[in-house]
Amino acid sequence: MSAAGQKNRLASGGLIDRNKPLSFSFDGKAMSGFAGDTLASALIANGVQLVGRSFKYHRPRGILTAGSEEPNALVELRDGARREPNTRATTIELYDGLTATSQNRWPSLDFDILSINQLASPIFVAGFYYKTFMWPSALWEKLYEPLIRRAAGLGRAAEKSDPDHYEKAWAHCDVLIAGGGPTGLAAALAAGRAGARVILCEEDAVLGGRLLSDGGTIDGLPAIEWVAKAVAELEAMPDVRVMTRTTVTGVFDHGTHAALERVNDHLPVPPEHQPRQRLWRIAAKRSIVAAGALERPIVFGGNDTPNVMLSSAVRTYINRYAATPAKRLALFTNNDDGWKTVEAALAAGVQIAGVVDARAEASAEQRALAAQHGFAILNGVVDHVEGGKAGVGKIVAALAGGAKATLEADGLAVSGGWNPAVGLTSQHRGRPKWRDDIAAFVPDGAPAGMVAAGSANGEFSLAACLMEGHSSGAAAAGDLGFGKSAGSAPVSDEDAAYSVRPVWTVNSKKKAFVDFQNDVTESDIALAAREGFQSVEHLKRYTTLGMATDQGKNSNVQGIAVMAELTGRSIPETGTTIYRPPYVPVAMGALAGHHRDENFHATRLTPSHHWAAERGAVFVDTGLWKRAQWYPLKGEKDWLESVTREVKAVRSGVGFCDVSTLGKTDVHGPDAGAFLDRVYINTFSSLAVGKARYGIMLREDGIVYDDGTTSRLAEDHYFLTTTTAKAGLVMQHLEFCRQVLFPELDVQLTSVSDQWAQFSIAGPNTRALLTDIVDPSEDLSNEGFPFMGARAVKLRGGVEARLFRISFSGEMAFEISVPARFGDALVRNLMAAGEKYGVTPYGTEALGVMRIEKGHVAGPELNGTTTAADLGLGKMMSTKKDFIGRVLAGREALVADDRQVVVGVKPVSPSQRLRSGAHVIAKGKVPAPETDDGYVTSVCFSPMMDRWIGLALVSRGRERHGEIAMAHDPVRGEDYEVEICNPVFYDPEGGRQRG
Amino acid sequence: MVELSWTETTPLSRIYRAGSHGAKTQAAGLSLAELSGFELVQTMARRGQWSATDQACREAYGKPAPARPQAVKAEGALLIWSGPDQFLVLSPRAGGSAGMDRARLAFAGMASLSEQSDARSLIRVSGSRARDMLAKVCSLDLHSAVFPEWSAAATSIDHTAVNLWRGEDDAGGAVFHLLIFATFAESLWHTLLDSGAEYGIAIDAPAAWQQ
Repeated sequence: MSAAGQKNRLASGGLIDRNKPLSFSFDGKAMSGFAGDTLASALIANGVQLVGRSFKYHRPRGILTAGSEEPNALVELRDGARREPNTRATTIELYDGLTATSQNRWPSLDFDILSINQLASPIFVAGFYYKTFMWPSALWEKLYEPLIRRAAGLGRAAEKSDPDHYEKAWAHCDVLIAGGGPTGLAAALAAGRAGARVILCEEDAVLGGRLLSDGGTIDGLPAIEWVAKAVAELEAMPDVRVMTRTTVTGVFDHGTHAALERVNDHLPVPPEHQPRQRLWRIAAKRSIVAAGALERPIVFGGNDTPNVMLSSAVRTYINRYAATPAKRLALFTNNDDGWKTVEAALAAGVQIAGVVDARAEASAEQRALAAQHGFAILNGVVDHVEGGKAGVGKIVAALAGGAKATLEADGLAVSGGWNPAVGLTSQHRGRPKWRDDIAAFVPDGAPAGMVAAGSANGEFSLAACLMEGHSSGAAAAGDLGFGKSAGSAPVSDEDAAYSVRPVWTVNSKKKAFVDFQNDVTESDIALAAREGFQSVEHLKRYTTLGMATDQGKNSNVQGIAVMAELTGRSIPETGTTIYRPPYVPVAMGALAGHHRDENFHATRLTPSHHWAAERGAVFVDTGLWKRAQWYPLKGEKDWLESVTREVKAVRSGVGFCDVSTLGKTDVHGPDAGAFLDRVYINTFSSLAVGKARYGIMLREDGIVYDDGTTSRLAEDHYFLTTTTAKAGLVMQHLEFCRQVLFPELDVQLTSVSDQWAQFSIAGPNTRALLTDIVDPSEDLSNEGFPFMGARAVKLRGGVEARLFRISFSGEMAFEISVPARFGDALVRNLMAAGEKYGVTPYGTEALGVMRIEKGHVAGPELNGTTTAADLGLGKMMSTKKDFIGRVLAGREALVADDRQVVVGVKPVSPSQRLRSGAHVIAKGKVPAPETDDGYVTSVCFSPMMDRWIGLALVSRGRERHGEIAMAHDPVRGEDYEVEICNPVFYDPEGGRQRG
Repeated sequence: MVELSWTETTPLSRIYRAGSHGAKTQAAGLSLAELSGFELVQTMARRGQWSATDQACREAYGKPAPARPQAVKAEGALLIWSGPDQFLVLSPRAGGSAGMDRARLAFAGMASLSEQSDARSLIRVSGSRARDMLAKVCSLDLHSAVFPEWSAAATSIDHTAVNLWRGEDDAGGAVFHLLIFATFAESLWHTLLDSGAEYGIAIDAPAAWQQ
């Protein structure tokens, strides 16, 4: 690819590498640039002025800035799944093969049909949507909003999921410096030399900040050489970390900062194993904001015309990128800094059409320069620019005396003065203060530990930036006790005073933009003022001023100034809106980091997981766990067939289920029993060693919190189990009870959930199977190991295990636990030893079926609204002791006799399927909230009953066994008769489990 | 009667593949290993018994019980701080439950003990990029000035509780140890592999933990 198309590229100079040509395309057109370019500088080098269309009016827009604050030059970068909309061309480092497309235009950038919106602009004013699309309100969601969103759009998000990886990381330092320009470098050198751990973050790919564009002399060296020397010194310090392509985007409590590192955005595809972006959380004891200042536009007619560019940006494109945005340039300035652009342009061979300076007096040097190069200095303002998608045509100036003058130019550089970057320092509700001498807001304090330095603090000369950078770096280190010498401050003789005469708006009759990105004009602000939206926060919401991705960096101060003028207030009286993170846009991918798809959260596997996977088990996510839901056999047509087989096999023979997911806690100490008496409604201090008991805990408000069995393994050692869902929460609750509520009790808690692999073995052949597993010396008979027995046993082969004779299925059952390293072996042994009994592994579905058949309550009934009595367990509430929830469980509403209590339900028609969530309505009543008697909580197809059965919470349910009611299911559009019945469908006498 | 087989697994043994992982770098930036064959006992002093526990620890293990976040090399065991008035006793498994028995004897009546030998996977993280990888999963400052050799912490990775300590440096620099929950081990292992892949990972052969 030749460089021929780069008609605006200078033959020499700049910080680009002419030995590394790069090809790229914009809107399908092949172009070329060089390493070191941004997309914006390469477009300028290729003579492209028209880059995008504006948000609301689809006006042609070019490039306004050279930084991350760019409001206009937004493009879709890359394509396919990596397409990234609304990307600022000014921040994209050019790479070979880059593709970019303009956005928000149809059918093409050059001919955009929706630009007719401009003709209708008198009605597209602030508040237009609210005023126009009011009636009928039903159309808002269906019609108006989709239409508006289509018309007023930005780029298109990629339709496929992002193939790249993002991650998050933490970093720690003594001193964090945001910004690697002269101030930041001086600060880093000082703090680093003093011995502090320093992190220096620079948004750009290279360090230097404005030095890269403006040059200068530091310590007698050309600025670029000084930067190289400073970087070398910093890199030689082991505890200084320089992070380029990294923007500090937020400051949070206790010195935690967020920073976005664009690790591989400068490459077409990140190298294998590398992330695209990395979001850093940086914990810093001190931070220095050396983020510089942003030049601001002036509000005049046609100020959004392509090639009306900020003066400092023009300088950047010429000096840093050797790309000239114009052949014949005019300048509109109100301060001396703007004049530097004239010098840069002249040095690059660009003609100067004239300088419009709002200040009355030009300096002798400025007059001499004008005379030497034959251009006029006009005292006045630019009233408007004539031009359009082809760029700048004529520039019409309104002179101080009242006359008009016209300049012929193809580019206009504008400098309205500089705004210190006060975003970070103001993030904790800080309000910057106004400084009249520089006509700008500067930080007024900052979050704890943070200071601003250099131009971010309103110090605009190079000499002052270096001095303040150095002193703030030295002070931060010294404050933290680092005593080594910070060395001497870098010195520059560029210390000219900054002279500015504020000009916010020229009151042009032509359309003049305040917020380019959201198409907010001066007249929108006037309208807001007339309609009473005069507070800056109202102004912002009503007009959308400052609400675009540039967050008002290019517009807020002018907007505030215009509103101040309209309402006869000063700028500080008018005030600023609230500053919030992030300082620059952050991709959602970076915020999500590693936590997406299968890594959305950490997962837990049971000890039998791999064995179950080998058998083809179907897994279900239960909280963080993967649990075997059922174990399909070849030829089974659906889950119901598999689950029914598993249930029948257990009830007629023997089966087992991995119950390791239950929360397991060791409760130790002399007061362990007393402790459990207070957290459970029933008594555990009286439990004999070697026995298990079912317990219920309440919340403080008297509602049931959790249930489970707890066994006493020694005088001072209980083994407590919880439900799977509440394992973590119950542990927290118990620790709270131990540490805060009952510190007088000598009790210790340890989660041992992961220590034990635990299986429930159930069915009439359980004991026979266990006999083959457990050492023959252990007595498993009803006498030797009665129902609710619990003790350590030895297994054949010597493994130490625990057996608990407890049953959730209603069958003769034991739970066996072994140290987790034997879990896989145990399950394989159970299969081998159980072969002759037809042993059947069962999953959570069969577990659920069997508990519903037995009327055992579980999660759907322990749903945060039920009392122990509601669950049919009221008799467990001890009256002989106090316990958590006792008092509030006695509240009138919790003991009312019309409470919804657990009952069984079964459809009258045996073939009718029962569904959870169906409402129970007395027969003959019309379904309504007043006639709603409750709802079905759990359902299953019962293989033993050969029909669908369920549990329900029904008002006065226990008095209504035998009643035929209606199940009303508006979600599925079903109504059918059900019989309310005893919740224990199977073996109500309970003989089987005592077997 | 069927012959029973009691093959032990470790939390990672079903997915563990020794060898290189991730970027093909000249020398791996990171080494990971699962260490097994240990006994781990959670020791919690009873109310008002910390001094007695500490004294018992000196007598049985030759070192004071860790009262600050550090790992203490004691006789035949590493004592790892895990919270106020509590620590972990890590010792090589020498068949049976010698480590648990020793702790029971040492702390009888003054501390509550729970065996956690099977409840954790022990992962060693070393190499020049160990800290860079850990920075992606762990919020702690592991700089030598803050976290020198034998420092310990009770922290979290992926919202999961982790005991982390720094052992003795090897030729590649700092060596970190992570005790992670056994049921989370595979998930967190994948997270560690993903986080370290860009540096090139050498996954060492599984080995027994040794003091």
